Amino acid sequence: MKFCVCIKQVPDVTAPIQIRDGALSMDAGRVVLNAYDASAVEEALILTDGTDGEVDVVLIGPEKATETIRKALAMGAGRGTHLVIPEGTELDSGAVSHILSRNFEGHTYDVILTGKQAQDTDAGLVGGMLAERLGLPYATNAVGLAIEGDQLVVTRQGDTGQEIIALPTPCLVTCSNDMNNPRIPNLKGVMGAKKKPVDSTPLAEIPRSTIRVLSYEPLPSRAPGRFIEGEPAEQVAELVGLLELS
Amino acid sequence: MSTILTYVAIQNGSPSRASLEVLSHARQLAQAGSGVCAAVVLAPGASGVANELARYGAQKVFAVNHPAFSRHLNTPVVAGLEAAIAQARPSLLVFPSSEGVKDVLGALAVRTGAAVLPDVASFVVKDGGVEALRPVMAAKFMARTRAEGDLVLVSVRSGSYEASEAPTETTVEEVAFSMDESTLRQTLREIVGSTAGAVDLVDAQVVVAAGRGVKDEVGKQLVEELASVLGAAIGSSRAVVESGMFAATAQIGQTGKVVSPDLYIGVGISGAIQHVAGMSNSRTIVAINTNPDAPIFDVATYGIVGDLYKVLPILIEEIKKKAVVVA
Amino acid sequence: MDDKFDCIIVGGGVAGLSAAMTLARADAKFLLIERGAWSGAKNVSGGVLWGTDLNRLVPNYWEEDGAFERFVNHRRLTFMDDGAAFTLDFKSDHFNRTPHTGLMVLRSRFDAWLAGKVQEAIEQSTHADESFIATDILVEEVLMEGGKAVGIRAGEETFHADCVILAEGVNNLLTRQVGLQTDYVPADGLAVGVKEVIQFDQNVLEDRFQLSGNSGLTNEFVGYASGGVEGGGFLYTNRDTLSVGLVLGMVDLRAKGLKPYDLLNQFKQHPAIADQLRGGEVLEYNAKVVSTGDMSIMPKEIFADGLMVTGEAANLVLNAGRAIQGMDYAMRSGILAAEAAIEAKKAGDFSSAMLKNYRTALENSYVMQDLRGFQQAVKVLHSPEMFTAVPRMVCDFGREFFTVDNKPTRKAYKILSDARKQHMSFWDLVKLSGRASRAM
Ligand SMILES: Cc1cc2nc3c(=O)[nH]c(=O)nc-3n(C[C@H](O)[C@H](O)[C@H](O)COP(=O)(O)OP(=O)(O)OC[C@H]3O[C@@H](n4cnc5c(N)ncnc54)[C@H](O)[C@@H]3O)c2cc1C
Ligand SMILES: Cc1cc2nc3c(=O)[nH]c(=O)nc-3n(C[C@H](O)[C@H](O)[C@H](O)COP(=O)(O)OP(=O)(O)OC[C@H]3O[C@@H](n4cnc5c(N)ncnc54)[C@H](O)[C@@H]3O)c2cc1C
Ligand SMILES: Nc1ncnc2c1ncn2[C@@H]1O[C@H](COP(=O)(O)O)[C@@H](O)[C@H]1O
Repeated sequence: MKFCVCIKQVPDVTAPIQIRDGALSMDAGRVVLNAYDASAVEEALILTDGTDGEVDVVLIGPEKATETIRKALAMGAGRGTHLVIPEGTELDSGAVSHILSRNFEGHTYDVILTGKQAQDTDAGLVGGMLAERLGLPYATNAVGLAIEGDQLVVTRQGDTGQEIIALPTPCLVTCSNDMNNPRIPNLKGVMGAKKKPVDSTPLAEIPRSTIRVLSYEPLPSRAPGRFIEGEPAEQVAELVGLLELS
Repeated sequence: MSTILTYVAIQNGSPSRASLEVLSHARQLAQAGSGVCAAVVLAPGASGVANELARYGAQKVFAVNHPAFSRHLNTPVVAGLEAAIAQARPSLLVFPSSEGVKDVLGALAVRTGAAVLPDVASFVVKDGGVEALRPVMAAKFMARTRAEGDLVLVSVRSGSYEASEAPTETTVEEVAFSMDESTLRQTLREIVGSTAGAVDLVDAQVVVAAGRGVKDEVGKQLVEELASVLGAAIGSSRAVVESGMFAATAQIGQTGKVVSPDLYIGVGISGAIQHVAGMSNSRTIVAINTNPDAPIFDVATYGIVGDLYKVLPILIEEIKKKAVVVA
Repeated sequence: MDDKFDCIIVGGGVAGLSAAMTLARADAKFLLIERGAWSGAKNVSGGVLWGTDLNRLVPNYWEEDGAFERFVNHRRLTFMDDGAAFTLDFKSDHFNRTPHTGLMVLRSRFDAWLAGKVQEAIEQSTHADESFIATDILVEEVLMEGGKAVGIRAGEETFHADCVILAEGVNNLLTRQVGLQTDYVPADGLAVGVKEVIQFDQNVLEDRFQLSGNSGLTNEFVGYASGGVEGGGFLYTNRDTLSVGLVLGMVDLRAKGLKPYDLLNQFKQHPAIADQLRGGEVLEYNAKVVSTGDMSIMPKEIFADGLMVTGEAANLVLNAGRAIQGMDYAMRSGILAAEAAIEAKKAGDFSSAMLKNYRTALENSYVMQDLRGFQQAVKVLHSPEMFTAVPRMVCDFGREFFTVDNKPTRKAYKILSDARKQHMSFWDLVKLSGRASRAM
């Protein structure tokens, strides 16, 4: 099967990030491949391993985001498409799905994978939006994928259990990181990635976003907590007392 | 006069707590903007819950009755909501966030040309648009986000609003909806490890969450016993879902569920940012961890530095004695 | 066999990146391997990068943003006892000239930035597709053939090169594996560095420390700073954060059974420090081993057949009171090792005889000259009086000299000699100051 994984470069949420007059400020260096997308790439690689299947990746992002495409290629993806936008361009999920859907016209993939959400925006919309635009059947929040003939069997983490859903191809699936642990590219992978094809094309026009971030703000602060000292018995006694009050 | 429509999820035959919270807020917004507060229910025999919804101020209930809604599958739900929107013509459609809702929000937005604000912590209607606070960066920050459009979809994180009653007269409008399930391209084969019926983690008042510190069956039983004496739902970190010790439905955090109980007790959980993303809204947070530097203590109301294998047995006994418990 | 590199560099810290930049500029085909998720991820410095070598690697770096936090134009040395602080203060506009002679850097930023510059250099070289910076990979072994280093092993993978440059830092396992460093390094050559990065509103920081534009302040501390443990403290201003920390002798620390973290908190609570930290929010805490500059712990040799050892892997650090110098030594040694590799490539000879050029160049550079020159200073600095008696004496002097009350005022020398008597014998002081003046 032919897979295409939509990947996003996101800031490393574990890096120190601060708010400066309403905007987020962090070290430019600290960007990573969205963890959910990494799981999607990993799963596509597992499913195509030892078959004549292919795994491509597509990314919308500024020049420097090529490094993230290289990361996916280093993992084992075959070909990359980089749709280049100016540094600092804000796109909402609607705009992203719009651009991606245009990109998929003229391609024939059996399966399109996205992450269940972007680690930075936690929006979780692009997958469903893209499926709707392309008129594809889809499933979200997949924690398992299997190929059965020309069907894709998705294990979806639902609210009350795991839904086993069979999709005909072509289809689209959004992936949870609970699906697998993405491989860390080895040196040969890193080196091979440099020689793999990445076609990057600047985006002619950028669709307008219907939602926009006005400002970033700190979380409402919690009342400062405290440690309960002493031996377990004492700690428990005090805790139970405190809980009864609250 | 604009309509604010609330999507009401049905759980074991009645509206979920999260739905009622959202409905309550929607009602207040409707009143403030002299609009209509309406609800939409997708279920076989949807109209059955109308009276309950009236108690929370739903002036209209749009009922989409169809057997297809007896189990969640995105295609029918999107179509059903599309039909409801066509009939109710809301300016705002509000959802209680859940995996079911996340499954349809994107497609529905494109289908109806709506702007969408997913997983907000709060939102208001402001000069012709909707302004929301969304947790971003694994809930490290809030993004003040604005959406504009004739129709705006908003999904709200559980626990963001209090459910409050405001009884009103209600009228039920059946939404004409037909769907031949055999034409569906995807098929739901089965649902495994279903926890339907059990206290839903998201709705729970008390949550006991287990992490990698819970190393074995003994530890697991301690957690389960603590949960039962507290009448709590069991949550977990990703680490112990990965290890297979707890069901994936128990996972709390960025990938898992967002909980906001009155009491959260984290047992052997380090408090990684992606976990905290799902519980930092809890009213009282208790953390039990051997490592005084564990980040969970940064958000804890009460921190106990100690071995869960020593602390839990005593805690369980104490609570049994008391039998009176918070909330 | 995989196509061979001219050089493999182990470690993407200051030393490794400096070597890499030099190689890239010389059109060499190399591989740099860093175990951290990105260069800088695992690295800790105070840190001030002294000297002007950065301008050799990245000409006019000061026109770049992200390169450094601030440049040093104001320096302080403070003697402390538990209640008082006596400070020497020096500010000069000669510091403002570029290239600056001291730069505050935060490693997680600086290393990442420098790695980016190296990547650019690679892309401009003729080996754009054959030279690599690879992160997230741990080198486990240096491959040896007939006593010659021929490559490295990382996990299952092996890679070959004409020479290997070890830039692995103070935790120099590979340097030990190839037998250049003894497995057991005496702890008295080592110190523990602990450090916090504390955030402020930028304006508050600039007002509080009289900073203008990019200018910055360094403050070293002796005495109470280290809670009576051999060592000293530092406070450096970054863009909108402070780096505050201690460097503590490992042996003394163990002997006194004290915890670096506790000492750091004690230091931060000293009235003189607390006032400067008011309103700050701790962003991160790090602890790391750092060499003291005692040359007795240096590797037996820093080159071998097909191999060179650079930076702190060779224990090239000098902490002689005036400043901690490690990054600048790392940078210079990295550059010199790379230059030696380039010569070796021209000559087609990577034998130790050839790579000895690295050693020679380092000996002729300020690095080894200072290291040798200041060995005494290192010893003096680490002598007990230096962090106990002397600071107390200075503070006693200060307390009386600067106090104006309604008592008859005594002559300064009288105060001084009394202060001295209280804390050390006359001869101790003479010996110490004698040694000190000779050493500095
Ligand atoms: C994109 C992404 C999404 C993620 N989503 C989630 C998510 O939704 N939910 C989630 O939980 N994680 C999530 N994670 C994983 C998260 O980063 C952490 O790895 C995970 O939360 C760690 O789980 P833990 O705290 O149980 O394990 P650990 O981090 O290993 O912590 C175990 C803790 O137990 C303590 N302990 C050990 N023994 C005892 C004892 N006897 N008594 C008391 N305490 C003890 C230890 O001190 C330690 O603090 C996500 C990660 C990524 C990258
Ligand atoms: C608290 C403190 C304060 C300091 N203050 C100053 C200061 O103000 N000024 C100053 O000049 N110096 C200072 N130093 C000293 C300075 O930090 C070091 O001397 C300097 O970092 C040495 O540079 P290096 O490149 O040799 O080693 P490092 O900077 O330690 O880099 C070594 C790199 O190699 C990597 N690595 C190690 N082993 C492997 C392996 N097997 N495979 C792959 N990668 C590997 C590491 O991840 C690391 O990135 C300070 C040190 C400390 C601890
Ligand atoms: N800029 C982008 N380029 C490519 N794919 C993207 C981009 N942004 C988001 N995606 C995909 O859409 C998924 C969900 O994104 P979001 O809806 O923004 O949470 C991500 O996990 C990616 O798979």
